[in-house]
Amino acid sequence: MIDRSVLSGAYFSQEHVARHQLDSYNNFVQFNLQKVVDEQRIVETEIVNRGKNQEAVWVELGKIRVEKPIVREADGSQSKLYPAEARLRNLSYAAPMILEMTLHQGDKVYPVQETTIGQLPVMIGSQVCNLCGLSQQERTEQGEDPSDPGGYFIVNGTERVLMTLEDLASNKIMTEFTERYNEQIHVSKVFSQFRGYRALVVVEKNKKNLLDVSFPSVAGHLRFADLMRALGLESDEEIVSAVSLSEDVLTYMMQNLEESECATVEEGVMYVGKKLAPNQTKDYQRKRAEFVLDSYLLPHLNYAIPGSLKPGDEGYEVYAKDVRIAKAEFLGRMAEACFDLALNKRRIDDKDHYSNKRLKLAGDLMEDLFRISLNRLTRDVKYQLERASMRHRELAIGTVVRADVLTERLIHPLATGNWVGGRTGVSQLMDRVDHMSVISHLRRVISPLSRSQPHFEARDLHPTQWGRICPSETPEGPNCGLVKNFAQLVEISKGTDEDQVLRIIQGMKIQPIRSE
Amino acid sequence: MTSPKRIGKIEFGILSPKAIRDMSVCKVIWPDTYDDDGFPYPKGLMDPSLGVIDPGLRCKTCGQKQGDCPGHFGHIDLAKPVIHVGYTRLIRKLLRVTCRDCGRLLLDKEEIERFSALEDDPYSAETIGEKDIKKERICPYCGDQQFKINFEKPTSFVEIVTEMGEDGKVHKSERKLTSADIRERLEKIPDDDLRLLGIDPEVARPEWTVLTVLPVPPVTVRPSIILENGQRSEDDLTHKLVDIIRINQRFKENQDAGAPQLIIEDLWELLQYHVTTYLDNEVAGCPPARHRSGRPLKTLSQRLKGKDGRFRGSLSGKRVNFSARTVISPDPNLSIGEVGIPLAIANEMSVPVRVTKQNLEDMRVLIRIGPHRPTLRDPCGANYVNRPDGRRIRLIAGEEGNCDTVAEMIEPGWKIDRQLRDGDIVLFNRQPSLHRMSIMSHHIKVMNGRTFRLNPAVCPPYNADFDGDEMNLHVPQTEEARAEAELLVAVQENILSPRFGGPIIGGLHDHISGIFLLTNQLKWYTKSEFLYLLKYTEMEHLPEPGKVENGIPYWSNKQAFSMILPKDVNMFYKATCCRNCDPCTKNTFCPNDAFVRIVDGELISGTIDKKSVGAMDGAILNRIIRLHGTQRAKEYIDDLTKLSIRAIMLYGFSYGINDTDLGKEEYKQIRDVLDTAERDVANRINIFEQGHLEPMPGRTPEETLEMQVMKELGKARDRTGDIASRHLGFENSAVVMAVSGARGSMLNIAQMAGCIGQQAVRGERIVRGYEDRTLPHFKRGDKGADAHGFVRNSYKSGLNPTEFFFHAIGGREGLVDTAVRTSQSGYLQRRMINALQDLKVAYDGTVRSTGGKIIQFVYGEDGTDPAKSASGLPVDVKGIAESVLKEEI
Repeated sequence: MIDRSVLSGAYFSQEHVARHQLDSYNNFVQFNLQKVVDEQRIVETEIVNRGKNQEAVWVELGKIRVEKPIVREADGSQSKLYPAEARLRNLSYAAPMILEMTLHQGDKVYPVQETTIGQLPVMIGSQVCNLCGLSQQERTEQGEDPSDPGGYFIVNGTERVLMTLEDLASNKIMTEFTERYNEQIHVSKVFSQFRGYRALVVVEKNKKNLLDVSFPSVAGHLRFADLMRALGLESDEEIVSAVSLSEDVLTYMMQNLEESECATVEEGVMYVGKKLAPNQTKDYQRKRAEFVLDSYLLPHLNYAIPGSLKPGDEGYEVYAKDVRIAKAEFLGRMAEACFDLALNKRRIDDKDHYSNKRLKLAGDLMEDLFRISLNRLTRDVKYQLERASMRHRELAIGTVVRADVLTERLIHPLATGNWVGGRTGVSQLMDRVDHMSVISHLRRVISPLSRSQPHFEARDLHPTQWGRICPSETPEGPNCGLVKNFAQLVEISKGTDEDQVLRIIQGMKIQPIRSE
Repeated sequence: MTSPKRIGKIEFGILSPKAIRDMSVCKVIWPDTYDDDGFPYPKGLMDPSLGVIDPGLRCKTCGQKQGDCPGHFGHIDLAKPVIHVGYTRLIRKLLRVTCRDCGRLLLDKEEIERFSALEDDPYSAETIGEKDIKKERICPYCGDQQFKINFEKPTSFVEIVTEMGEDGKVHKSERKLTSADIRERLEKIPDDDLRLLGIDPEVARPEWTVLTVLPVPPVTVRPSIILENGQRSEDDLTHKLVDIIRINQRFKENQDAGAPQLIIEDLWELLQYHVTTYLDNEVAGCPPARHRSGRPLKTLSQRLKGKDGRFRGSLSGKRVNFSARTVISPDPNLSIGEVGIPLAIANEMSVPVRVTKQNLEDMRVLIRIGPHRPTLRDPCGANYVNRPDGRRIRLIAGEEGNCDTVAEMIEPGWKIDRQLRDGDIVLFNRQPSLHRMSIMSHHIKVMNGRTFRLNPAVCPPYNADFDGDEMNLHVPQTEEARAEAELLVAVQENILSPRFGGPIIGGLHDHISGIFLLTNQLKWYTKSEFLYLLKYTEMEHLPEPGKVENGIPYWSNKQAFSMILPKDVNMFYKATCCRNCDPCTKNTFCPNDAFVRIVDGELISGTIDKKSVGAMDGAILNRIIRLHGTQRAKEYIDDLTKLSIRAIMLYGFSYGINDTDLGKEEYKQIRDVLDTAERDVANRINIFEQGHLEPMPGRTPEETLEMQVMKELGKARDRTGDIASRHLGFENSAVVMAVSGARGSMLNIAQMAGCIGQQAVRGERIVRGYEDRTLPHFKRGDKGADAHGFVRNSYKSGLNPTEFFFHAIGGREGLVDTAVRTSQSGYLQRRMINALQDLKVAYDGTVRSTGGKIIQFVYGEDGTDPAKSASGLPVDVKGIAESVLKEEI
């Protein structure tokens, strides 16, 4: 017979209380930091006049690592920074990030240089933290409360907790009813997420059974059939087979195909281009249409394009063609979902079912921040290189990289709570009223829905929250049901490596859509 | 002070450039505010003639000091006219209805005739609107062809000119109208035509809507602030004015230097943009002007709009002096018309008292005491002394203080700010103030401690409870205000609610329990017990004993209650504890003692409970207030509360976990009831699944099944409740409270002892959850009672995990409901109040709004003030009949 008190004691222990925060942050530092750098990989510049042969100058980004937090004094000396000192001296508990950068000038490769690109705020108790691995005794010696659970940051001397954000699952097709002009229509939506960019793609079927597709950057909506053509499915058969082969759906598809005004891929692309940039040249319209289709329509399928390739590169078009077809097939599935809803073969998705929700933890939030800041930094590096080149100075990585750009962009959102993407209240001053409030604060989950609207169903306790979210702990008043707290025995899984899953699936009998 | 004046009329017009220049004290030229030494630049934005904000300096224009100088306007001469963004609609309308060449209205004589006033009625003229002009006309007076004028946000107008080109085809070209062009056109409009359009040309000539001079608000309107690091930070308006002046200067320079047309146009547009954002930064189609930090500036429009703007935030509602706020706590020993004030508050706040020949000596005493009052026993003193010339002297206590010297100084005509003392009138309020009883006046009683003290009986009108609520206190400062407070808004005047015509103040929880325990059935008390009960009431004479047994006099409980009733009350009604048994035996003998008979102020039979003395029902109180008025009613409530508390103290009243215990037999019965119900439900589900269920008319079989199941389970819970209540009698405090109506109901008892019952969300069983089931603990398709939220256990026996979760689901809905409801009802109340606040009952009985418009010919169609009516009826027929006949009607 298990001694249950030992088991439950393990869940209540000091190490486990904020485990989800620590795991998420550790995962970020260990894997995702490098992943973001790899997405960027190259910083191109527009310098062409350097050197004798008009060679391009570019910087290659290599491995990134994070050291332990240090504090630099006014006289230049450095020493290990512990959280207690950071709190007292109003410092930010952050560690230097060191990135390998290689300057390329044409074929000439300069030696690899390691530069500090900025300070990464460190979560107390994480692997990067100086307290990690210390015993209770040693922690006390460093001025830390031994029962302090960690899992928070110290920014400008204040303790800040990153709130876990709860949001609808990305890349899932969800169906619902909507009213438009007092008619009920069937809609299927997808929140397509790729590298920090989240796009809402909507396929709606109106009373005349016509499908309309809308996605960001295109005002209004596009006809489904024509969009499919633009993406590469030219013939009617291809379009219909992408949606469904069942009889009831065929009638709907007939109506849609009749409405279609395009017959070829080219006409489809031009249709999209006309919608996007009405009064421009045909050439510009085509370019814009292709750019928009690749970047803003279902961006999550762009994972198939290797990160380093950009539009205009050599191999890009090949991959892009495959991806567009994949997007067309996906749109077909969305259309099928719409029709199934209309035919009562599918019920509307319960937006409050916890399987349709994903949580963004501290690590994910820091990843989004880091991505934006790294972009900023590379742009700044590019600018500095070009400027240095114009003044005919020696190009050196050390002089070109300004660490405070990145650092400021990481610290400022943590300090104010205003995150990229316009969310406020993401980082909060930790509630140190008593030990219980600390634990409660670290284990809080926030919904992005607005506090002023009723949102009855979102506030209700949903049975899928059993074992995951506490049924009792929620504030009274306007936040009731929108601010939740984790249950005691909750375990948070992180996303798995999709490539691995893909390989396993490919080992089974599946039919690939793309040419490889 | 000059004699008071009455407002005759208010006229709205547009400031003319001449008026602006006339009222200006300084022509502002330089965009700089302060120079290096910290002094304001002459002819700059902070020119001293515009006003003073630094204490110590004197205003150049009016010579007053910082607090008194109201500030003075300056002006800026704009290089070119600029459209005032607030008037764009007006300008558009005027451009469209008038001729572009001669400026006259585009209607010929007979069309104008239609709109003119009838001969005998000068007010019947109708204003001409845009729709009355047909499109694409020729001017009837000068023959010029008119073109369509379109408005482009935010401030530009374009005219679409159709011309004949050389090739003979019709061209449409867009011509942008500059502000100067627009001004010219507007200038041409003759005065008479303006009157037809509804504009008074004396006060609002249309060309004044295009600004040539911009008035500069005084420095007091846009003061700078000093940050902690010593730097001066300018107000948003000042920043905007700096921008305007800069562009204006550049514009002038470029104009004088003869710059190309394009530059002039660009600068003109920029100037227009700056002036537009200065007036309104939230104009549609115009990017808002921002601070360096990125936050949009707060300019003139934003200062006035919205909840925190001038109107709603500084005029309709302001922060006031002589107010206080703390936590409230109960004090049953206070009268309902009293409020207990902490000593600290009474010392800090004051009432101004005028010194006269009669009270000169008393005032001198007050001043000699000074502001120091350390304990309750110390006499009340004064804080300030105000001389007739307006100067204020602060009294300082102690040896080195000025109390004695000032005491000699005072003369009749001075005003003394006296500290608060017992008996002063104050207004007491709890937010949200939803009805007029949320503010009532109370008499002060100064007490120790730091909370406001309140008699619990007066909580319902404030909707206050003592779980941490705070309330506000205001001290009326003038004699008139004090008189109004005491006579109009006193607690006793507000006993009857205008909503339903009944009392809103009365007994609450323990009051009702106490008086129920006192008066239920017939009980006899000895003299000491009787006196114990009546100790705190205003009783003066002991009545004759009800019976004498073995030489000991006894008084009955009915006699005890009758002591507080006036002698002319006659009432006959059913009490709350009436079980509505069939047939009613009230005339012979009611086993529950539930038929109340009061004859000539004596309680003959019946139990006094919620119906008689409760806060919302209060039948006896209702009768007393009509017979004897508010003062007697107040005394009655005070007596009642004190008697009921003494009664409950005599009995003792408590509740413990074993009060929810039932016997073994009862538990078996409850188990049987629930088992039977469960079997019945399973049965019905079976029938449904086999397809034999007969659907109710108009509903699907599923819906019918749900309805039947819920009904069965509800009945089962009620049956357990009956079992429980049968076992529990009046020794059980929960039963006493439920039966008397003090708090709770038999449902609460059923849930504590019997079975909690079905949890529901939005009226239905718990249905949402995993696929085809609520929780993974159940099989898919399980429609049974326990799988959809039926809680079999009672609170006493405890809930199992799934029951607990379902109960949380049902409970959460309640919390959400409360939270959402308060905000929504608040908005509705605000809209209703804004719509109704101007209505008034005039002296002829009609209900009129502003301007004498009649809304109702008789108030409420019957002329009855609901607060003075008998539960809404104009005449209390039943009451009169009962008083006369002294028997049941």
